[in-house]
Amino acid sequence: MGAFSLNYLVRRLLVFFLTLWVAATLIFIIPRLAPGDPITAMVARLTQQAGFVENADLIIEGWRERFGLNDPVYVQYLRYLTGLLQGDLGYSLARFPSTVSELVGRALPWTLGLVGVATLIFFSVGNLCGALLAWGKTPRLVKVMIPMSMIFTSIPPLLAGLLIVYVFGFLIPIFPQAYAYDYNFARPELTLEFFANVLYHGFLPAMSIVLVTFGYWALGMRGMMITIEGEDYMILAQAKGLKPFYVLYRYMIRNAILPQMTALAVSIGTLVNGVVLVEVIFSYNGMGTLIFTALREQDFGLIQGTSFILITTSALAVLIIDLSYPLIDPRISLEGR
Amino acid sequence: MEKQMENGSERVVLKVEKLRIHYATPQGDVIAVSDISFNLYEGETLGLVGESGCGKSTTAYGILQLVQPPGYIVNGSIEVDGTEVLDLSEEELRKFRWTGLSLIPQGAMNSLNPTMRVKDQIIDVIESHEGKKSDKQSMRARILELFQNVGLPNRIYNMYPHELSGGMKQRVCIAMGVALHPTVVIADEATSALDVVVQRIVAQTLVKVKDEIGVSLIVIGHDMGLLAQIVDRIAVMYAGKMVEIAPVENIYAEPLHPYTRLLIDSIPSIKERKPLKITEGITHDPRNPPSGCIFRLRCPFAWEHCAEVEPEPIDAEYKHEVACHLYDERFEERRANAFATFANP
Repeated sequence: MGAFSLNYLVRRLLVFFLTLWVAATLIFIIPRLAPGDPITAMVARLTQQAGFVENADLIIEGWRERFGLNDPVYVQYLRYLTGLLQGDLGYSLARFPSTVSELVGRALPWTLGLVGVATLIFFSVGNLCGALLAWGKTPRLVKVMIPMSMIFTSIPPLLAGLLIVYVFGFLIPIFPQAYAYDYNFARPELTLEFFANVLYHGFLPAMSIVLVTFGYWALGMRGMMITIEGEDYMILAQAKGLKPFYVLYRYMIRNAILPQMTALAVSIGTLVNGVVLVEVIFSYNGMGTLIFTALREQDFGLIQGTSFILITTSALAVLIIDLSYPLIDPRISLEGR
Repeated sequence: MEKQMENGSERVVLKVEKLRIHYATPQGDVIAVSDISFNLYEGETLGLVGESGCGKSTTAYGILQLVQPPGYIVNGSIEVDGTEVLDLSEEELRKFRWTGLSLIPQGAMNSLNPTMRVKDQIIDVIESHEGKKSDKQSMRARILELFQNVGLPNRIYNMYPHELSGGMKQRVCIAMGVALHPTVVIADEATSALDVVVQRIVAQTLVKVKDEIGVSLIVIGHDMGLLAQIVDRIAVMYAGKMVEIAPVENIYAEPLHPYTRLLIDSIPSIKERKPLKITEGITHDPRNPPSGCIFRLRCPFAWEHCAEVEPEPIDAEYKHEVACHLYDERFEERRANAFATFANP
């Protein structure tokens, strides 16, 4: 046991690719439902700026031909899908010669790092706090302190971020207010010094994500732990005279964490929303800031590309959690048959 | 009697005295177990029977120190092999558990941790009490021997609980219960979740293992027929009181307490459908038990004296006690009259 069935793997992969396909299709359709087209809009903008553009019609027609917008929709769709498969997300309209892939390639690692580390922290801290809240042997002081640390839970990440920047970046300036690393470094490099600098800069953004999130996990975990405490096997564990700490992690947390993992998979989409705003507040050069500028500059190509990449990474994270599920819950692989 | 000769050990391994357990409710305490006293002898199997809610499981959990809130032990003494369980510190109690008293739980379906292999759940109890074992091979042999004792195949060694049938899970619980050769094993309705065939096989396994290992056993149940086949003595409980405790032959041949009589008379047989005899009177509010005898409101023989004085257990015969005023020597005449009318209504 422990190994998952091939059937389970195939089904999860199918769901994963189906998600991507639906996302890609929606991203393709939605802009085309809007009236007008991006090139006319761009030329119109140029016209406004310059007052007059010579042969505007010819320019529009030329670009339409260049981008294949005169082809039937299904040809465009197929070309778009083959492009996606080859990692071609098209061009950024606002920074034209740059491709979306280039821009995303530069931003994505930062977001993955930030979200990854923050998730690791809030998930473990949140679940640990929740477990301690429910455990009978937790010192009273700890039980009082944990709920007090959860006051940020009801604050939107945006406000928490602003508050944290104000307090720790401005009032008591012990952490940098913005950017992912010091601009003394011309470009990212593989040195310990640079790595330390990244951690230093990442602390406040990560903290604002963790502070607003871990309370939800603590409350969820607490509820699960209380349910587990009422299970028959907990009475038997007590009767067996097992060591209390062993019972806590092997009987209680081990069983209570399973629904929490599912909840994590479900909440990844929401998590990404929060991260976008946090990145903007801290001018963190990740996907969030990239999407934000793309929206501000009405850069449709970039909006589409970044949306697709975010959906892909979320779906990938869910896939990873789904695939790790049979490894942590022995009952899953059988049900997957 | 033969049975008494076989199981006639006089050594008391478990001595329960004046055990009282309440459940706290906003309207006042519910008296779940009311000053129960009894002895369990070495090598004996004692059946604990009574209606649902009579306090038999609460008694067992009280002995095991597992009463869950809002329940609490008000007073009493529980001695296992001379150790007063109620005086143990938390850590002493932890070490005492499973070596002194072990439990075969009610509803084994959910009594095993779903995320642990069966063997690991037996290994963990062994290692918590005997320390970490480095010798994997002898541990495996030890567990397989336990499996063999309860009739489990070797192949389940690496399985998870959800891969076993109900009967198998119950056997795992039996194997686990005797793993440390405890002084007393308490089986709490260990068979009630199983069908009759498996029930019987599991019950026989229980007795077989008990005899092999030489522990004393308390079996809680409501199936009088099944209990009759596996226990040496039966203790009958009513509303938190132990009304009668007697060798199993006596209780079927000649039940003494009026409640036991009605209970035995209500057991249906294949030849005849019997009405439930215990229908008269009202069940009392467990927060305000009646004065005197607990059963007097439903007892067909009750008279004024029953409302005034609470009956103490009376030694009727060898290892046979009954808590009823009718067996007081002073009321011998009344007893004869009462039973005469009862036998021929």
